[in-house]
Amino acid sequence: MISVKKVNNKPLNLLERIYLWEIARGLLVTMRHFFVNLINPKGMPTVQYPEQKITLSGAARLRTRHRLKVRADGSPKCVACFMCQTACPAYCIRIEAAEYPDNSVEKYPASFDIDLARCVMCGMCVEACPEDAIAMDTLEIPGGVETRTALMMNKESLLRNLPGEPSVKGAANRLANEYLKARGEK
Amino acid sequence: MPKLTIDGNTVEVAKGATLLEAAQQLGVYIPRYCYHPKLTVSGSCRMCMVEVEKSPKLVTACSTEAADGMIVRTTTDKVKAARKDVLEFLLINHPLDCPICDQAGECSLQDYYMAYSLAKSRFPQGDKARRAKRRAVGPHLVLDNERCILCTRCVRFCAEVTKTSELDVMERADHSYIDLKEGKALDNDYSLNIADLCPVGAFTSRDFRFKTRAWFLKKTSTICLGCATGCLIEAHHHENAVHRIVPRPNAETNTWLCDHGRMTYKAVRAGDRLAKGVIKNGVIDLEPALREVASRIDEAHSAAAVLGSPWLSVEDNAALSRLAGDALKTENFCFDFTAEQGIRDGILINKDPAPNTAGAMLLKAARGGLTLEEFSRRIGAGQIKVVVTEARAAAFIKDVVKASGARLIVFATNKAQIPAGAYATLPYASYFETPGTFINHQGLRRRAEPAVEAQEGVKPLWEMVNKLAVYSGTSLRLHCAEDALKGINF
Repeated sequence: MISVKKVNNKPLNLLERIYLWEIARGLLVTMRHFFVNLINPKGMPTVQYPEQKITLSGAARLRTRHRLKVRADGSPKCVACFMCQTACPAYCIRIEAAEYPDNSVEKYPASFDIDLARCVMCGMCVEACPEDAIAMDTLEIPGGVETRTALMMNKESLLRNLPGEPSVKGAANRLANEYLKARGEK
Repeated sequence: MPKLTIDGNTVEVAKGATLLEAAQQLGVYIPRYCYHPKLTVSGSCRMCMVEVEKSPKLVTACSTEAADGMIVRTTTDKVKAARKDVLEFLLINHPLDCPICDQAGECSLQDYYMAYSLAKSRFPQGDKARRAKRRAVGPHLVLDNERCILCTRCVRFCAEVTKTSELDVMERADHSYIDLKEGKALDNDYSLNIADLCPVGAFTSRDFRFKTRAWFLKKTSTICLGCATGCLIEAHHHENAVHRIVPRPNAETNTWLCDHGRMTYKAVRAGDRLAKGVIKNGVIDLEPALREVASRIDEAHSAAAVLGSPWLSVEDNAALSRLAGDALKTENFCFDFTAEQGIRDGILINKDPAPNTAGAMLLKAARGGLTLEEFSRRIGAGQIKVVVTEARAAAFIKDVVKASGARLIVFATNKAQIPAGAYATLPYASYFETPGTFINHQGLRRRAEPAVEAQEGVKPLWEMVNKLAVYSGTSLRLHCAEDALKGINF
């Protein structure tokens, strides 16, 4: 059974039916904005993205461009478990795994590509990550580029810690922490 | 014949059958780690506990013989609690390695935890016992003792199936761990079965290691062409690349699969894979190569000959026979291959390394042709000047060809197969890329099914034969592989 909602539209009065007066009223709004902006151009809310960008607050609760977190020794926290690639509904993540010969973490991503042109910014990869290795908190909104290749992120362009971020604390990866501790890095 | 009741259903089983087998007969699944149908019963994992009426305690289904009038319950609260507790114990020291463990996705610990436990760990992560992590224990396997649940399937496999006994449980009680016996390496011909057997990620394959995740793999049922045994296998592939081969257990031939057979897929994506023709040592495009080969065949005229191959499917051999009979119109063709058949090591590996000797003989019966001795004699006597064959079959006539200087034209999938002195080589799609029928040493007809797509331009052998015939002026009218089989009672 489809529920039907009845909308009681107010019948138009004579002035509205004449139409011209309503047009003039609309144009008045436009003209007001035009002159206000002409006199005070700095008050315009429009941002000339991507040439001009607004600074998003650090506490902004939004999903922005991805980054891969880094351990103290500069290696990616990511262990190439493919959880994000599996969870991604847009099939935009592509990982190739490789093996560390000495590091007891054993596995790391030889390549980690995100095609931002395909990404739907849903944040499933962040949800799925068991190592807290991927985050969407760079406060950069992707999209304003001139070539498609500029939207292809790779391991090198994704690896980055935020200023002041502790690199080991909170790491879910026990083996990584042990390895770093053994090497005297905290 | 004892008759017993399991979860309210009555079943009659053979004498000596265990409760687990009886339940299986009824379709009741009992979780297990250490039980394997082809290995002796160990009863060490305690996962298969069931409730038997009038028995004071729960019993292990895998080691309790079914008796007449038994009333077994597998879904009571007591059984559920037992499973949950067993899992909790097994998981106490199990590391949180799933992100880096190749078993993830096909791991019994993961599966049973989701199905029977879902309990939070009461054990602090820092208190977990530590054991040796990854360690190569042979050419094909990696051992991670920390992940092991000591089900001893691997120990029993080495003791009972390969009878090499490389592995054993070292020390006692909660100190125990699986290790190689002193001075041994896990290098038997069947070692990769242990990676399949291992219900957790303790033994994993070195070859498959970190290649992809188990849940991405698509599965194609096909057959192994490593020898005349013709084991049933499953090719696991992802994004048009085969990543591993596992056995498809069946009553006729195999429960296991040998390491050699498991590595046969490597040739498909090897760097020396042929996609173009080779004339002498120079690679040239396929069409000019075909033209060149056709003109050499036409030049030799009635001195051209065709040699079938026990490495090719029945259809492709039939296409070669059509090439000889209908296009070259020559009597000089041979499908006569004899090789000693039989299991060499008492497990799986056959004395005959070719997968289709019986199939080639079937063509001999249907189409006639020369015996291999007569064929070789004619090459030696100079009656045959051009031989068209498959690369590995060229080994049968290697010496006479060299002595007589006859031109050898071979079909090959990889550069490494090309015999020395071959005049021309034409590529064809391997049997991971194209279907084909093979007859194993027992006379069983088995079908290879394509798991991946061939590289662009690489065609099945029958299609290459068809093209070759067109270039030399006759149409064989082969539109599919089965067209070649016309007139063969098969």
